[in-house]
Amino acid sequence: MSHETLAPPAMRTLFGIGLLALTLSVAPSALLAETDPAAVLRIGSLYEPQNLDNTAGAGQGINEAFNDNVYEALFRLTDAGTVEPVLAASHEVSEDGLTHTFTLKDGVTFHSGDPLTAADVKYSIERVVAEASKSSRKRSLANIAGIETPDDKTVVVTLTSKSISLPYNLSYVWVVNDAAGDITAKEDGTGPYRLEDWARGTALSLTTFDGYWGEKPANGGAVFSYFSEAAALNNALLTDAVDIITSVQSPDALSMFADTSAFTIAEGKSTTKQLLAWNDRVAPFDNVKVRKALARAVDDKKLLEAIWGDRGTLIGSFVPPTDPWYVDLTGVDPYDPESAKALLAEAGLADGFTFTLDTPNYDPHPITAEFVKAELAKIGVTVNINIITPNEWYEKIYQKHDFQATLQEHVNHRDIVFYGNPDFYWGYNNPEVTKLIEEAEASDTEAQQTEKLTEANRIIAEDAASNWFFLYPQIVVSTVKVTGYPVNGLNAQFFLRGIQKAS
Amino acid sequence: MRRLTFRLGLVLLGLAFAVALTTLVWTPWPVEDMSGGRLAGPSWAHWAGTDRLGRDSLSQVMIGARIALMVGLGATLVGGLIGTVAGVLAGFAQRGLDDALAAALDILIAFPTLLLAMLVVAASETASLGTAILAIGLAMSAIIARLVRVVSKRVLAQDYVTAARCCGAGWLRIVLTHVLPNIAPTLLVALALQFGLAVIAEASLSYLGLGAPPPNASWGQLLQQAQATVYTAPLGVLVPGGALVLLVLAINFVADGLRDLLDDSAEVRE
Amino acid sequence: MLRYLLRRTLVLALSLVVAGLVLFVLLRLLPGDPAAALLSVGADEAQIAAAREQVGSDLPIGQQLLRFLGDLARFDLGKSFVSGSPVLPEIAKRLAVTVPLTLAAFLLALALAVPLGILAAVKANRWTGAALSGLSQLGLAVPVFWIGILLVWIVAVEWRLLPASGFPAKGWADPAAATRGLVLPVVTIALVMGASLLRYVRSATLDVLGADYLRNARAMGSSFSQALLRHGLRNGAAPVISILGIELASTLLGAVVVERVFALPGLGSMLLLGIQQRDYPSVQGVLLVSTLLVLLIGFLADILQRLIDPRLRGADEGEAA
Repeated sequence: MSHETLAPPAMRTLFGIGLLALTLSVAPSALLAETDPAAVLRIGSLYEPQNLDNTAGAGQGINEAFNDNVYEALFRLTDAGTVEPVLAASHEVSEDGLTHTFTLKDGVTFHSGDPLTAADVKYSIERVVAEASKSSRKRSLANIAGIETPDDKTVVVTLTSKSISLPYNLSYVWVVNDAAGDITAKEDGTGPYRLEDWARGTALSLTTFDGYWGEKPANGGAVFSYFSEAAALNNALLTDAVDIITSVQSPDALSMFADTSAFTIAEGKSTTKQLLAWNDRVAPFDNVKVRKALARAVDDKKLLEAIWGDRGTLIGSFVPPTDPWYVDLTGVDPYDPESAKALLAEAGLADGFTFTLDTPNYDPHPITAEFVKAELAKIGVTVNINIITPNEWYEKIYQKHDFQATLQEHVNHRDIVFYGNPDFYWGYNNPEVTKLIEEAEASDTEAQQTEKLTEANRIIAEDAASNWFFLYPQIVVSTVKVTGYPVNGLNAQFFLRGIQKAS
Repeated sequence: MRRLTFRLGLVLLGLAFAVALTTLVWTPWPVEDMSGGRLAGPSWAHWAGTDRLGRDSLSQVMIGARIALMVGLGATLVGGLIGTVAGVLAGFAQRGLDDALAAALDILIAFPTLLLAMLVVAASETASLGTAILAIGLAMSAIIARLVRVVSKRVLAQDYVTAARCCGAGWLRIVLTHVLPNIAPTLLVALALQFGLAVIAEASLSYLGLGAPPPNASWGQLLQQAQATVYTAPLGVLVPGGALVLLVLAINFVADGLRDLLDDSAEVRE
Repeated sequence: MLRYLLRRTLVLALSLVVAGLVLFVLLRLLPGDPAAALLSVGADEAQIAAAREQVGSDLPIGQQLLRFLGDLARFDLGKSFVSGSPVLPEIAKRLAVTVPLTLAAFLLALALAVPLGILAAVKANRWTGAALSGLSQLGLAVPVFWIGILLVWIVAVEWRLLPASGFPAKGWADPAAATRGLVLPVVTIALVMGASLLRYVRSATLDVLGADYLRNARAMGSSFSQALLRHGLRNGAAPVISILGIELASTLLGAVVVERVFALPGLGSMLLLGIQQRDYPSVQGVLLVSTLLVLLIGFLADILQRLIDPRLRGADEGEAA
């Protein structure tokens, strides 16, 4: 997948309270033998980056490998979902909320040896909002009016409107050396690891950076090995070819790791939502009744069971329970084929209709498409399944909006904002929601923000803006030798620095 | 021994056709029925268990037979037609052109059917059963063309054909009365063998995700899906794979038997 | 012989040029502008033009052809649309997986097929012969990826003997891990290829067994096995070699499915990825290089065949004269 927001299968997670997560991720087991500070971690992943630049459509794999490991940002989104300063030593906001002043930490150098300056930060933010940028955060930062650098240590960001989530949004902005140039195949960040080698199609190796400004990592580096098949990934862990796998794609695979003396299965909180997105611009999906009918015709519970067994969570809207603006909305359009038929008839489609479902070619989309086809057939709606590659998805659906309906998973948290953007691929356009989401961003307090977004959340659910199926479970499996890894993997991040490996 | 395998092949192939035709009107369970429970093992209700959606595996494998036969036969037909026409034309070609054609065919044949088929699929906008048939058929046509070219050259060099040509017989007539009847046995055996290869090629294409889209339950696709759950439900890998092997084995037995029957086409293999 | 060598080399060079041209035409026939792969959300006219210029799809077809041939002459296969890195080094890296995989599988298949094939021929009328024929029949009917999946399941997952898939990140710098990674794929290919080779060896041996010279040799007092070794092998080898050439070439290219089963970063998986991502420079590069290899193998097989079988040599000189 070429888009960080909409990347393939699951793995991100929680915002807010990851209690289970925290305990699991922080406490190194007392039972373990000596840890080896020079050990190189072997990580198996399904998300090979397309390139090394997160503004060039590199996919979620680059966040996994590079966020906070190779590149740092002014702020960090922790595995528990809180935002904390990293390269920012201080952050001050003006009275009117439109001027944010950041002071940079001292003694930070890039891997190339250049010192970190305010100009680098300005360059880095501009990279993300630039015309050619494919970053999903581009729009969230669109209200930046100007960036000033009065001296080498100070960055002043002026906004056109108030933005309560600026630090949060800046956690996505890698601080890149302004002299680095094209970073699609190399890097120059400030993180505790530097890129050692990238064997395209196979692996990406990181090694510790000796000039790192902060505390030394608990390990000597990491090799991300990339697999195209979930089965191959699981086998790699089973046969000791890797130490950790960052996601498990099917509950069946977990039975292989049942031996607790050899493996640890960590289930964190996920923010990955699988959904069926209608193109709300085109008939008949521009009709709320039709969308509600289709939502009621699909038994989400049965689908979740088919794909994840007894794991995962049902959702009634785009908001996962870990966002502060979550409310249980699964009751809005519950499974009810009879009322679905009635609604269709009300919409003048008593005889049903036919549409094409553009389906990404990787699991679990094809099987989900088959399920949807069978369910909708029961209310007289015919589904033609069209299998497409991630590239085609990006071009046809995300860019050209040339589709009727599509399946996709959305990995980011706090991404209800997409429903406030009428130009987003699904074309949901409700001025009330757009207004609520704008106002939420301009809030003075988090309580105010939460109130507005909860309201927006309710409205999109009532409108059945899309058909939200379920929330993936977030599962990381490792050998018992490694501990201290992040289990929630918010926004696909995989923090390496705290991971320990027994010798 | 040979006669035994020939008969066995015919019986199995007949069975496969019977199953494929049956699925048009009846399967043990409707394919869209998802009531079987997730990855259930074999039972009286579901002899080969169920898939992740709770659908009956046996019904899907039976439908897979229909798809395998359809694509296999379709591709063989396409490949046979194009290959025969091209081969006969090349057979008539004169020295320079003939050499060039022969060399081109040799190069094409050096590429495995699957690879050529992959390229044809890549060139088409969307995958469907039709693309798979066309892709495999086109890839196969080079092999048939080369064979037909050699045989028709030999036929054309026969005295009586030369005589007929001298007497003013048109080329179409020569093709119809002399060339085609002479190459028919060789062609038949070659096509039978290619049929088996086409079935394997179709499964491979859909295993690679380049075949017909779901819900066409191609065996390759079933295998690809079952690979992920082989630990808890190995039956999902064994049943479609076993069916595929049996079908190809049956086709090969029939092809061998045909060759023995029409034994002047010994150069087809070996 | 020298004359044949020269002529054959000329044919090789010509075939290469023809293959290049065919590929050029084929890839231009594919739907869509290859520049599209370079574009991002809401690209404007200027960006589209820039992308076209970079890819070269703005030029007239004749100029594109010249440029293509010029690049080829300089061994420049262009840059991937997706990663932006040059294609040739990428191919070289992947050949380091595919070539050892193919050669090892080929050798193993030979090691299985030659003795078993001869045995099957010699004991053609016993149950061993029948059993071996049956096995090879079975091998011909089994799709290679199914064997791969079964081997992974049994050997790697149930018995945990070998890695199920993947190749070490460091490649051959970690020879032990690289070798272990290739064992199952090699066995998978060798089983299928061995089955088909066995048939050729068996029938070639049967031909030899029925031949006059062998009967003569035995009449002159050689033992059966002596006669078979001295005369039979040499005479039977020639037809088998040309088959071997074709088999080797098709294994090399057919590795794509096996590479997929075992998640190996070889040439085949590069092609599959290129096709899925519409990364035409990668597809074109892989096809050119594999065509070259296939033609080279055919070339070597022909030469070797001439060297081994004097009859062909004579025939050829007679024809050339």
